[in-house]
Amino acid sequence: MNKTIEAKYFDGHSSASQQIIIAFNDTMNEFRLQVADGISFLWQLEDLQFEQYGSLLELRNANYSGAVLKIDNKDFSQQFYEMMKQDRRLDIHSRLLNLGFSKITAIAFCFFCLMVLGYFYVLPPVAERLVVLLPASFDNEIGDIFMETFLNEHDVDTVKTRYLEKFASNLNLKNAKPLRFTVVKSNELNAFALPNGHIVVYTAILDSMNSSDELVALLGHEVSHVNNRHSTKMLCRNLAGYMVISLIFSDINGVMAVLTDNAQQLQSLSYSRTFEQEADEQGLKIIIDNHVDPNGMVKLFDQLEKENDISIPQIISSHPSTEDRKENLQKIISQTVYEVKPNDNLTSIFESLKN
Amino acid sequence: MESPITQNYRLEFFGKGSDYFAIMIVNWLLTLVTLGLYYPWARAKRLRYIYGQTALNDERFHFAGTGKEMFRGFIKLILFYIAIIACYILILKMVNSPLLAILFLYLAIFAIIPFAIHGSFRYKMSKTSYRGIRFGYRGNRNELVKNFFKWFLLTIVTLGFYGAWLEMNIRRYTHQNIRYGDVEFSNQANGGDYFILNFKGYILTLITLGIYAFWWQCDIFNYYIDNMAMVKGEQKIKCYSTATGGGFFSLLVVNALITVFTLGFGKAWADMRTQKFICENIKMEGDINIDEINQTEEEYTNAFGEDAMDFFEIDLA
Repeated sequence: MNKTIEAKYFDGHSSASQQIIIAFNDTMNEFRLQVADGISFLWQLEDLQFEQYGSLLELRNANYSGAVLKIDNKDFSQQFYEMMKQDRRLDIHSRLLNLGFSKITAIAFCFFCLMVLGYFYVLPPVAERLVVLLPASFDNEIGDIFMETFLNEHDVDTVKTRYLEKFASNLNLKNAKPLRFTVVKSNELNAFALPNGHIVVYTAILDSMNSSDELVALLGHEVSHVNNRHSTKMLCRNLAGYMVISLIFSDINGVMAVLTDNAQQLQSLSYSRTFEQEADEQGLKIIIDNHVDPNGMVKLFDQLEKENDISIPQIISSHPSTEDRKENLQKIISQTVYEVKPNDNLTSIFESLKN
Repeated sequence: MESPITQNYRLEFFGKGSDYFAIMIVNWLLTLVTLGLYYPWARAKRLRYIYGQTALNDERFHFAGTGKEMFRGFIKLILFYIAIIACYILILKMVNSPLLAILFLYLAIFAIIPFAIHGSFRYKMSKTSYRGIRFGYRGNRNELVKNFFKWFLLTIVTLGFYGAWLEMNIRRYTHQNIRYGDVEFSNQANGGDYFILNFKGYILTLITLGIYAFWWQCDIFNYYIDNMAMVKGEQKIKCYSTATGGGFFSLLVVNALITVFTLGFGKAWADMRTQKFICENIKMEGDINIDEINQTEEEYTNAFGEDAMDFFEIDLA
């Protein structure tokens, strides 16, 4: 106890400020607080909590509830801080802060870039791989939940639905799970497949078609989405993406929100370029194996493109350009040997569907 | 006995944007690396800085809340949340009625609000101290819960008109139960005044195509502050605001510009400007001697309510 310093002391009983003398030695492991003549007590370093505001150091003692010691002395404050640093008594937050403004900002910036790279290049494949771990019942369940609300808001065309079922039963769609079909009355040029094998076709898209080949192409495309679990993969990808973004913005509530209200968005899910291409190519294979003209798929795209300005249909979502997809299909068709057999059955059902 | 001397009290804020930014960045980093688990500690760091940079008559405030306490509250909250979601799914499966399930979800989350308000005030006040004397909250939980539902029902019945009363009643009740040692807080806010103030603000904002919004905001702030007072026996401190609509205008517009032009990174500076503005515009006058206040409030370490308020983004200012 060879050094002394003046300090301001609040005893935790009254708000009155007291000027006191504290004594300490170089190791600073204890401080003697001389409160009044003859009254003093000892504060051990290990009981102390501190706050530093420039030259001002505030010490609080876990054993003296409420009491605060305030020492306004630059040298003392610095010496104390160095002691704490050497003793490894600083928490990780303070140690990082110690690096200084520019270093922290630089670290944070690098980290941010890493996160962004990860978000675009690491996350999607990882999330898709993880889908393998999800049981098929998961696909069915989210599909069912979605369909339930969807049917409440849309008008089903029961007659056309029956025809579409009949149309599909005449085809070998190579489906991995049982399929269901529904035609809904709508002016929207749209069709989508749910992960539970439910394929929904809007009346407007049927009306826009000129031949049964196009409908086979549409079904082949949608079935391929189901077979490859594209919806579930995209859902996992989006979910993981939202969670990472929420995390980047330290928005913990956001992470929870994503978990609770994400199943409602199946319909507006836009597939990635690779998924669309995969569905196009596998759809094309289904068409050829059914001895239907593969150019039906190209014609389907032509039709959709023509009426594009009315509404942007889901299956030619702007994401992968329709031009590219058509080119890709034409290239494959030109390299493939295929045999088209006229199918009167399909044609006649298609005619009924159109009316 | 000497006659009390009327004095004024000086509230100041010393926080600097660059310091706050550094704290936020470190918070961000640690929260990210821990996949969000650091969040309560980050919050504690942030609050500790803001409180510590606020001073009344040259003495700083102190926030003693810790990440550990808030983490415990956070875990409780998550468990509670999971329980609610589980019930929600159960109802969905058993009764097969989405409407009922969603109704339950909203009711459950809604029912937690008064408990959260109570818990939050208890925790936050108990953890706030000044000159070694703790703040405290003496409100009765059951009374608040009962009144909350009564006021809320009235709000529904009156198609929302009672909302102003609901808000002010909660404010008055909670604020009147704040203690600073043996100093009691008092609050005279009432729904009628508040309703008229908002009605006027709404109409004028419409007429002026939104420009009056700053003055409306200012009126609300002034109303909050002007109705606050502290009492100790015969002694009293009265609060009043010196904020002006123009002041709010420049505060909020500049803040928006700072935030937008720095792609959000300038928010730390904007937040500091806001705190400074608030502190500089709250004036106090009275005869309570801040040297003679006695410790009366006990410590309270359950942060469940505080975390719930943060989680559901309820801000009672």
